[in-house]
Amino acid sequence: MNHKQQSNDGKHDDDSALSDFLASLMDYTPSIPDELVEHCLAKSGFQCPDVRLIRLVAVASQKFVAEVASDSLQHCKARQAAGAKDKRDKQPKDKRLILTMDDLSKSLREVGHFESIDFVYGVNVKQQEYFADNPSTGMDPASRDE
Amino acid sequence: MNNGCLEQRKKEGSKSFKFGSKSDDFALAIAKVAAAQVCDSVGFQGFHLSALETLSDIIVRYIFSIGKSANLSANLGGRVEANLFDIIHGLEELGSGLGFAGASDVDRCVVNSGIVRDIIHFVGDADFVPFAYDVPRFPVVKELKEIGSFREKGEDPPGEHIPSWLPAFPVPETYATRSSVENEPMSVSIGKETESVLASVERKTKRSLLNLQLRIANNEYEGGSLHGVENASRAREDFEGNPYLAAPLHSGEKDVEVSPVVLPAKLSNEVTLRNSVPGNAIVGNNETFASAIDAMKSGLCDSNNGKKKLLSTQRPTLRFKIGIRKKSLGTVPDFNPRNEDLEKDDKKRRVETILKESIQSS
Repeated sequence: MNHKQQSNDGKHDDDSALSDFLASLMDYTPSIPDELVEHCLAKSGFQCPDVRLIRLVAVASQKFVAEVASDSLQHCKARQAAGAKDKRDKQPKDKRLILTMDDLSKSLREVGHFESIDFVYGVNVKQQEYFADNPSTGMDPASRDE
Repeated sequence: MNNGCLEQRKKEGSKSFKFGSKSDDFALAIAKVAAAQVCDSVGFQGFHLSALETLSDIIVRYIFSIGKSANLSANLGGRVEANLFDIIHGLEELGSGLGFAGASDVDRCVVNSGIVRDIIHFVGDADFVPFAYDVPRFPVVKELKEIGSFREKGEDPPGEHIPSWLPAFPVPETYATRSSVENEPMSVSIGKETESVLASVERKTKRSLLNLQLRIANNEYEGGSLHGVENASRAREDFEGNPYLAAPLHSGEKDVEVSPVVLPAKLSNEVTLRNSVPGNAIVGNNETFASAIDAMKSGLCDSNNGKKKLLSTQRPTLRFKIGIRKKSLGTVPDFNPRNEDLEKDDKKRRVETILKESIQSS
């Protein structure tokens, strides 16, 4: 009984926390605009007149993209650090942090969300083979001799 | 270049490619900007275009899959509109691959789920940079111009088999020429038509379309008006917005200094023939054109080629100063001298619609 009462109180707290959170969502403007979210949701058949829920989905998707991007950033930094370690006398080639397909596909593979989405995107994102005129073209810049 | 990646994607299932069509370009473009903003907030200083496109595609697909799973939960609950719990269920499904706090609890409450707590933490920690552009509501829904039903228009449907709540037939002037309207005015306005009248109307419709094509083709080298003098100025007004649709100018209407074109000897006969029949211009036109029409109707390639040759070589004859007779060759229906009796507004409207159709079809 005691446990039930506690859990009920807990639920009330959670409810209020959630409703407060939803109310506070309207104060933030996520980077993903509401119109885009509404369009994509409408395409999937999702119907909801409540704008707070649209905002929630926008925030959730921004969180997801931020996760993927930060994972890619870590990969990029790791690669640069590894490159710098090899040649301490020279400066690292890329001081700038640039989002590349390599890093993105690595982070997508790790994130592992995509088994549940109905396409297998992350695992299959790979570089297309192409014909180059130089044996060293496309090699990892850290290992290339300059 | 190897296209293996694309083929693999196609094999995996076309059902996932909901955002591949041209109509979604706008959404993808917005997603690209949003992805760039998020990358910037995370700390990237640049990106490869392919990587950005991939990321924007992922954003769109992620939102789509949230919506799909939320809609599924709502439908399972017997609802059409999704609510908060449906969204949280959808998020949990998507997040189940990586896992979230409390996923293994048997009697967990949706409200208390780890996903929601993660989102709350994210909102608290991250800086939210608003989207860079003002995005209008899209897709814009075009308002359909409704053709009223027979009942609404107050017309009687032509035939007992047609119920009055069906949309009314289009205005006959949009698909019939003036001659057909003049020669059989009653047949158009009267509701019931006999089979013979219908057949004749159909013939005239075909002829009118053919004439229209000829008219447009001839307009380039004839220099005459598109639909008679009385309509030239009006036609010009109609297409004021688009200069390419305006009727060509007649001599003296505007001071356009154009150097006279020296005709090659081959064509001068043709031109003099036309110029030599000012009085009976209409009849003369008919004759010269009837042959062309017949040739075209028979579908002879030679005549068509010859006609095309004629067209290309006659192009230089377009001049603004020569006093060519006012009726164009193409206006076969104009042989009726009662042109002036028709209503001007009616003509204007008809011409507009016919031209629009022809331009759309070309």
